[in-house]
Amino acid sequence: MASSKSGRETAMTLERMSVEQLKAVKEQADMEVNLLQDSLTNIGTATTRLEIATTALNDLSLRSLGSKILVPLTASLYVPATLQDPHHVLVDIGTGYFVEKTMPEGKDYCERKISLLKSNFDQLVEVASKKKNVADEAGVILQAKLKQLASSS
Amino acid sequence: MMSSSTIRDLQRELENKANDLSKLQKDIAKNHQVRKKYTIQLGENELVLKELDLLKEDANVYKLIGPVLVKQDLAEANANVRKRIEYISAELVLMELFKIWKRSRIARKIRYSNCNKRCNLFRLGKGKHRA
Repeated sequence: MASSKSGRETAMTLERMSVEQLKAVKEQADMEVNLLQDSLTNIGTATTRLEIATTALNDLSLRSLGSKILVPLTASLYVPATLQDPHHVLVDIGTGYFVEKTMPEGKDYCERKISLLKSNFDQLVEVASKKKNVADEAGVILQAKLKQLASSS
Repeated sequence: MMSSSTIRDLQRELENKANDLSKLQKDIAKNHQVRKKYTIQLGENELVLKELDLLKEDANVYKLIGPVLVKQDLAEANANVRKRIEYISAELVLMELFKIWKRSRIARKIRYSNCNKRCNLFRLGKGKHRA
């Protein structure tokens, strides 16, 4: 209820603006929408990376001590190795800090981060859709005003 | 003629004012960029601190220094991150103050130039009358 009321209010204020003001408002809103959209894609990529990490951890936990693996030294160069310790992982927690964790702790870390990102993503989607509505509204009113101007002159 | 010279003066003055204004606006934009960077860093550090707080006493913590991982005390790492958060927060507060100060300067400038313009126009009108 409250949101629809405030929406009508913004529409009213938009109606009262001049063409230049409307243009500025539209530009601003579009810019913000783009920014939010970028953030959303960033969060998406971060989430997929964490999901990849989770599957990798699951994969690793299935291997036993001393099993053979190939370790990538570069993107195209792999060297054979044996798994020394399948129960401990080193997790990058940001700003150059790494923490040694056990396998379940590592999985827990990934899951926690993913759920954090998901909740952020949902919040951001809400904000972005609101902004998009404002931008669309401004665009519609701007078009109407321009048409009015064109027909009157 | 007096009025033409005053017009030139006024134009020069207006140009100067406009330059000052755009410089201030550029400053604010730059400030905003830096602030954004710091806010991101603050968020990251807070996440790290949260993670460090969750760890057990005997957990192994490593710090990446260049290409090398160096083992670090958990307490030390904790203190480091806390210090960093403190520093960044202080810096953000400072920048907020800076922004407010700049804003007020811009507002003053605009008000001042508006008033000036009006006075000058008034003077000009008088001059024209006389001419």
